[in-house]
Amino acid sequence: MRLEGTIDIPAPAEAVWAVIIDPRDLAACVPGVSDVRQLDDRTFEGSVRASVGPIDGDFAFRSVLATLSYPDELVVDVEGTDSVTKSRVVAHIEAGLSSTSDESTTLAYRATVTTKGRLAIIGDMVLRATAGMMIGQVTKCLRARLEAPA
Amino acid sequence: MTSTRGDRPATDVDVAVVGGGTAGCVVAARLSEDPARRVLLLEEGPDPQPIPPIVSDPKRQSELILESPYVRMYDVERPDGSSFPLLSGRIMGGGSSINNLAVVRPMRADFDAWSTFGGDGWSYDALLPLLRAIEDDPDFGDDPIHGSGGPLHLERSYRLDETVDPPVRALIAAAGDAGLPPCHDLNVPDPIGVCASPYNIVDGRRQSTAVAYLEPARGRPNLTIHADATVVRVLVDDGRACGVEVRDPDGRTTTIGARQVVVAGGVFHSPELLIRSGIGPSDELTAHGIAPRVVREGVGRGYQDHAVVYVTFQGTTELREDYVIPKVRLIAKSHPDRATPDLHVFMQPSIRMEGLPPLLPVSVRLLEHRATGRVRLASADPGELPIVEPALLQHPGDVEAMAGGIAFVRELVRHPALAEFYGDLVNPEPDADADMLEHILTSYISYYHGVGTCRIGAADDPLAVVDAGLRVYGVDGLWVADASVLPTVPHANTNLAAIMVGELGARAVAAA
Repeated sequence: MRLEGTIDIPAPAEAVWAVIIDPRDLAACVPGVSDVRQLDDRTFEGSVRASVGPIDGDFAFRSVLATLSYPDELVVDVEGTDSVTKSRVVAHIEAGLSSTSDESTTLAYRATVTTKGRLAIIGDMVLRATAGMMIGQVTKCLRARLEAPA
Repeated sequence: MTSTRGDRPATDVDVAVVGGGTAGCVVAARLSEDPARRVLLLEEGPDPQPIPPIVSDPKRQSELILESPYVRMYDVERPDGSSFPLLSGRIMGGGSSINNLAVVRPMRADFDAWSTFGGDGWSYDALLPLLRAIEDDPDFGDDPIHGSGGPLHLERSYRLDETVDPPVRALIAAAGDAGLPPCHDLNVPDPIGVCASPYNIVDGRRQSTAVAYLEPARGRPNLTIHADATVVRVLVDDGRACGVEVRDPDGRTTTIGARQVVVAGGVFHSPELLIRSGIGPSDELTAHGIAPRVVREGVGRGYQDHAVVYVTFQGTTELREDYVIPKVRLIAKSHPDRATPDLHVFMQPSIRMEGLPPLLPVSVRLLEHRATGRVRLASADPGELPIVEPALLQHPGDVEAMAGGIAFVRELVRHPALAEFYGDLVNPEPDADADMLEHILTSYISYYHGVGTCRIGAADDPLAVVDAGLRVYGVDGLWVADASVLPTVPHANTNLAAIMVGELGARAVAAA
């Protein structure tokens, strides 16, 4: 599955960058993420819980900031396993910032998500169904964080 | 005789049935009704006895599909390089042991289409007595188009006229206002509307063909069942099938003589076995260094299936786990001008994730396939799965029909009754038609209803593999009897059609 889009954030690029490269800051903005543990300055782990009808599953993941080059190159590789089917999900995410003014930034992202194993039977559908709303929530959260008074 | 697993049969037989899937169990059970006929059923998957609860208990369907060892996945690619799986059952009973248990007859239009390939014997009127003989339908047993006392028991756990479930009532109201009435019997020749789904369940137990057909036959001394047995190839001598070469789990091969061979490996493995046996398209035989016995260009070609696309709405309320599915399905047309309903629409269970409102997917399932795909060998080694190129949504007419179906669903959920449950469209983004087209072409999956890779047809039809009586062209004593012989995908789930083909195969072999 491929995802591509832009998010406009009314904040300077430096401030946006600081949030998106901080695993705890970013994870706090992603719906459903819990148990976040930072392993080093580029690696963190966590889990996401989701249900589809009668199926409840946890998805444990590890995220690595593979490339950090302000402002236009952030590459994140995520790998995880779900608790129900033990399938493997691999995501490669590329993002970059461009200033649209002193106080506003556009975040452009492109992601490829691959599911290997039984989870592929329903996982793609769930990812597609939730991705748009998750990105919407992340956008809202980032804006709120960056707009909040220091 | 009880089943043995992976052992070498010691004696030659009258009929070797290759594949204990949906149709193969039917063929073996029917042919062994004659005690004078020695029948051997060979299944590559296991034959666990008793059948494990994860298979027999319909309530564990999700677990069966997602976690059990009895499901085989075939990764296939969309043109954009993304992939999705096709599935088959790798256990005695095949697809009928892992499917969602729906018993859905092909529509009259399907029999009409099949008649153009197979003649009058494939017409609705000709096959109605067989459809009746297969089933035991207590809800409609007295109806002239239904049967009672057949091996396959049907039950409808849900009656539309008794429903108190608000979402189902809402669906009935919305569909009714769209001209789609409640349809109490899904198995009429021309069904349309909100239909209560019939299932093959008895006392809470799945009635796969391993149960409904094979179980009563297991005690017959003339029936031998070998599970965990891979058939490497059909042996052909002087234009006549004469047996099979079988490999056990330890890699030992043995040869079994048979007067007649019935291939029932399913839509992926029947063509694979024929090709490995030297019966197939010249390019495949050449590519894999297989000595040609009979060149039949249609082997593996002609694959058809049903494409499925999900659209997801924001839920306005939390819904119960059992929601609409599997109680009812909507049979509809992608466009009012269509002669035959070409859609199954399922209101799917909700998706829930912390921090997000409930999401309500609706699946749109296109019951026609204008393009044709192909099954090819990955290698001549039977241990390697074949390559499947399903060609779903590769014809503009299919894409147009799917888009029409999605537009119909978007309109349907705006009906005030359904709008109590369904909010805004969230996937795909509702902004532009181009987004919807991209969504269709990059997210479609399969309904797991493949057919057509060994299809019936006249002798002068270059892509026909078997004749109307399922006999393989060019080889005496060899039949194919499974859903792979169906020349077009029916407007229905394919399990019952596969059972019907199994019955036809058994009759053809018995009459030979």
